[in-house]
Amino acid sequence: MRIFDIHTHPILMGSGAKPEEIKQLYTEGKALGIVGMNSLGDVSFYGHCPDAGQCAKINDGNGHLQRLFPDFFTSFCHLNPTLGERVVMKEAERCVTNFNSKGIKLEKTNNASASCMKHIAKAAREFNLPVLQHTWTVHGIAGRRVPRSIQSDPTDTATFARRHPEVKVIMAHLTGFGFRGIAEVKHLPNVSIDTSAGYPEEGLIEYAVEQLGADRVYYGSDLPIREQSVTIGRILGARITPKDRQKILYDNAAILLGLN
Amino acid sequence: MHIDSNTYLGHWPFAPLPSYTAGKFASHLTDHGIQQALVSPLNAVFLPDPMPANRKMFTAVKPTPALIPVPIINPTLGTWQDQIDECLHLAPIRAVKILPNYHNYRLTHRQFEPFMETLATNKLKLILNVRLNDERTQYFALNLKGVPQTDIAKFLKHYPTSHPLLTGIFRPELKQLASQCENFSADISFCEWRNTLVDLLTVLPPQRLLLGTCSPLLSTRGQVDKLNLAGIPKKSKTLIGSTNAKRFFHL
Ligand SMILES: [Zn+2]
Repeated sequence: MRIFDIHTHPILMGSGAKPEEIKQLYTEGKALGIVGMNSLGDVSFYGHCPDAGQCAKINDGNGHLQRLFPDFFTSFCHLNPTLGERVVMKEAERCVTNFNSKGIKLEKTNNASASCMKHIAKAAREFNLPVLQHTWTVHGIAGRRVPRSIQSDPTDTATFARRHPEVKVIMAHLTGFGFRGIAEVKHLPNVSIDTSAGYPEEGLIEYAVEQLGADRVYYGSDLPIREQSVTIGRILGARITPKDRQKILYDNAAILLGLN
Repeated sequence: MHIDSNTYLGHWPFAPLPSYTAGKFASHLTDHGIQQALVSPLNAVFLPDPMPANRKMFTAVKPTPALIPVPIINPTLGTWQDQIDECLHLAPIRAVKILPNYHNYRLTHRQFEPFMETLATNKLKLILNVRLNDERTQYFALNLKGVPQTDIAKFLKHYPTSHPLLTGIFRPELKQLASQCENFSADISFCEWRNTLVDLLTVLPPQRLLLGTCSPLLSTRGQVDKLNLAGIPKKSKTLIGSTNAKRFFHL
């Protein structure tokens, strides 16, 4: 079975960038049936609010991976909408031109319902890029720990998607936004989800497929924070049809990113 | 075939899990390469006295020898001795499990001294469950943290001749604890990072790690694949997958 991992951070905390480390990641991935990984960069390396130069460095890391294994790595560019329209558009253009960026990755620079997100929507429209938004429930302990000004609850990601129905949104972290998050975006056809992050809690994959349909679910791991054998095994073990499994593990990403 | 040291039977109020009978649960585990499992009653997690749930579990698993019952005991109740006596009478138990965070007590409670003595006298192993879910995704009405690693370290030092199994411990907590104490083993259910087992084996010998899936709360397949597909020697996989559990629980 072919697998594409839409949510990875191969270079993290200063490690993972050496060619032999990337080779190892590639070899390990291939052994699990992974034919490609989408790199989202080390988005937390410079703290919650990277400046323009720091965003560029994060995105250059993706370029580095793609130069070494061009057929294996795709990437999304990390943008900070709080830096304003000019910076956002310039970096998006640079990444699309230099690295063939396939999407935009947003982390915890701001809440997804903030007004500065209009710059992201503009970049997404102009360069035809999906927006992958870090999302986590604010009702658990993590929600109480991370301020809402930078932590996006599924209701916040849904607000962004509702304001910009023409933008394709991928709400990241299935276990993080949970059952409530799935319900929140069910009636927003421009929103898909990824299965990255968190422990492989039972029942969530099945619920996502039942409520959203398998077409709206992408496999993602959040490597290296998670183990790909576990994140894949969770989908292989889910009580869904083989066809839906194939869509989640590969087909949906192949369509979205134009893979062969 | 594997032995799973951390599974549950019963109702969990926070997720629409498949409702397994003992027989169906055992065949679900078999489908994923698990031939025997230590199983505890989920219904005891939120009961003030765990015994009604323990009794039900003993009855439920009786026709299913692949499931080895591990009762949940609350050593801080006035009836802790009665709980153990009754469990010993009801089934040939090999271990008891405690849930300090769900049952609201510290490991320094005065009744631990006689409790630990009774376990030793009856050759019962102690399973100390650190958590049943990730605090970051916990149900909104709960605010339960895992059993503090500093408390566990003090406990292990206070009972140097005991050797409990820690279930549900996070990888960073386990690594920290491994640098402080040697008299414990741990399951791998809540340890996860890229190359989890390669990483854990840098701080613990394979003899002290046991396969635990925390099924049915977590994906059995995902958890088993963490071991099956790990880049560690085959010998270590066998130890973690079954040999250690056989030795630990005298199976
Ligand atoms: Zn991520």
